[in-house]
Amino acid sequence: MSLLERHRNIIDFALSSLGRRWKKNLALTLVYAFIVFTLASVIFFTEAVKREARAVLKGAPEIVVQRLMAGRHDLIPAGYIDILKKITGVGQVKGRLWGYYFEPSTGANYTIVASGDPPLEPGTIAVGQGVSRTLHAAVGDLIPLRGTDGAYVSFEVARVFSHASELVSADLIEMPAADLRALFGVPAGFFTDLTLKVRNEKELVVVADKIRRLLPDTRPILRDEILRTYDSLFDWRSGLLLVVFAGAVAAFIIFAWDKATSLSMDERREMGVLKAVGWKTSEVIAMKSWEGIIVSLTAFFGGILIAYVHVFFSSALLFEPVLKGWAVLYPRFQLIPHIDPYQVLALFFLTVVPYTVATVIPSWNAATVDPDSIMRL
Amino acid sequence: MFGRKSDIFFVGVALGAAALGLMTAHADYRIAGAGPSLMEKAALVERLELTDLCLFTDARYARHPSVADRHSAFQDSPMSAEHFPSGTVVLPPPHLCPQ
Amino acid sequence: MVELKHITKVFNRNRPDEFTALLDVSLLVRAGKVTVFKGPSGSGKTTLLSIIGAMAKPTSGRVFLEGKEITSLSERFLTEIRRRTFGFIFQQFHLIRGISAIENVMLPATTTGEKHATLRDRALRLLDLFGLSAKARSRVEWLSGGEVQRVAIARALVNNPAVIIADEPTAHLDTRLSMDFLGIMERLNAEGKTIIIASHDPLVYESGMVSRVVEMRDGEIRGPRQSA
Repeated sequence: MSLLERHRNIIDFALSSLGRRWKKNLALTLVYAFIVFTLASVIFFTEAVKREARAVLKGAPEIVVQRLMAGRHDLIPAGYIDILKKITGVGQVKGRLWGYYFEPSTGANYTIVASGDPPLEPGTIAVGQGVSRTLHAAVGDLIPLRGTDGAYVSFEVARVFSHASELVSADLIEMPAADLRALFGVPAGFFTDLTLKVRNEKELVVVADKIRRLLPDTRPILRDEILRTYDSLFDWRSGLLLVVFAGAVAAFIIFAWDKATSLSMDERREMGVLKAVGWKTSEVIAMKSWEGIIVSLTAFFGGILIAYVHVFFSSALLFEPVLKGWAVLYPRFQLIPHIDPYQVLALFFLTVVPYTVATVIPSWNAATVDPDSIMRL
Repeated sequence: MFGRKSDIFFVGVALGAAALGLMTAHADYRIAGAGPSLMEKAALVERLELTDLCLFTDARYARHPSVADRHSAFQDSPMSAEHFPSGTVVLPPPHLCPQ
Repeated sequence: MVELKHITKVFNRNRPDEFTALLDVSLLVRAGKVTVFKGPSGSGKTTLLSIIGAMAKPTSGRVFLEGKEITSLSERFLTEIRRRTFGFIFQQFHLIRGISAIENVMLPATTTGEKHATLRDRALRLLDLFGLSAKARSRVEWLSGGEVQRVAIARALVNNPAVIIADEPTAHLDTRLSMDFLGIMERLNAEGKTIIIASHDPLVYESGMVSRVVEMRDGEIRGPRQSA
């Protein structure tokens, strides 16, 4: 009880002490909170996308077989389907038709995919929200698309994919397979790539190996690789952000270090006074620790809460320029928040602890002054 | 009379912790409610045999990173925004730049 | 009350700038009296005060507080004893700027673990005693010289110490404020406090309340060595 009371008294004084230079300390706290905010935003965002990818892409084809010609992706003959079917352990093999369509008037890139099951009526398409936005197209509108022969073909929008599915469908145009072949001039007997279902997941690697040996001009891509691609993709993108951000962090460290290490004469004198009026060295250091804890804890709470609002309520508004790149069509999606307590804890220890230590260590020397030094001043 | 300054600190910490708790609760709530939308997306992925999330549409190696060619950097346009780390330090050849 | 036996204090020992502030000083300060150390600056008055007040340890010799030897105690225990037994008034007063008068007064008791409300009441009563209750919430840099002095005295009294130690308290005060100060000291002495002052101000050492004047020069006590 007296320990608690003592520390409450020390916190009282630490707050008064901070209040004296409140402009400086407020600025410091804000800059600090901004750093926590950026870090936490990156962590929240990348973690949420990774989890979403993992959940959504569970149904993605287990193996995609691409044909490579001279190191580039090429159309794959339908005859390969029968070869692949003969591999033990392979279930269903399907040919996939898809491609990209660049719309010069808006500058947007669309992904056109052949209709799945149930198929669309000939001459109709289903479009994603992003396509609908850039082309101002609603159900029933006609959209002209330029074919390989230079002629425009009009398609009627039969359906617009829901807003909720935007994270996978924003730039999609789904059309009947025959229309797609006609539009892009894909010859009969060829597909963009092939997808495989494997009966036993444990055999994936073995099957992929067999594909490589049977069809040396192809490249099998496993679903696990896709998920791994996302992991590394986001590790890389967030890494890039962090690199840019590292400069700011370094600047802050220098600033904080400078502020903490170069105790002003005033502060040294104050510590001398505290010692002289009967504070122990440990109590002076405790007071300084509380100062550090108050500043860094405020910054931690503030930064992390604003980051949460930023990422999950405003859809990471501030990151948009970075994530968008040159894209005209940008999917609007609300990520499903996921808070990893371990990450919050890590963030806590990466922010609160170093700052507190950085404020305490330089005070150590000043706090160990002889109490009578103030009398000899 | 005037409350203690340390009370402000304790109340602040309590509020901060409560807000963190609220944040976690909100996240759980959203996760619980996300089922249908996740199912919808997963169903679409299954039906159209999609392989990637639609995050970046600026280049095909960014739109479909999993099925892009192995060496797909620079292929869409020598000026296109580059996806690979090396792209941030390699400039396009001067004769391809405008001006 | 406080007894010093053969105290020597050397600063910067074994260095070129070594100097001896006190040389073989023996002294008995009696409880309930007003003792003044008189002498020019550099005569060792301040050093003597800090050794009496358990702020500094002597290089050699022993210090007894109420018959108990305290020279060999660790810093922690010494701090405890100092906090309970002595109240200090410094030459520059050394109030902490930027915080209020009452916070300054509470400072010596902040870390004792005493209940905040009790502590604040006591500090308020002390300020009231010196006619400063209206200024309790004012920052100390907004106070006048006389108010600063009285806040410093209130701070020295907050732990209800048996001994008040003041180092050149009138050095920065005009005659009227110096007289005020002496009046307060007299009152405290009448209440039973032991008062120890270092001063070369005649106003102080010629004052009627002083029980004993110890004259110092070059780190040594001049004249009669024993107590009054």
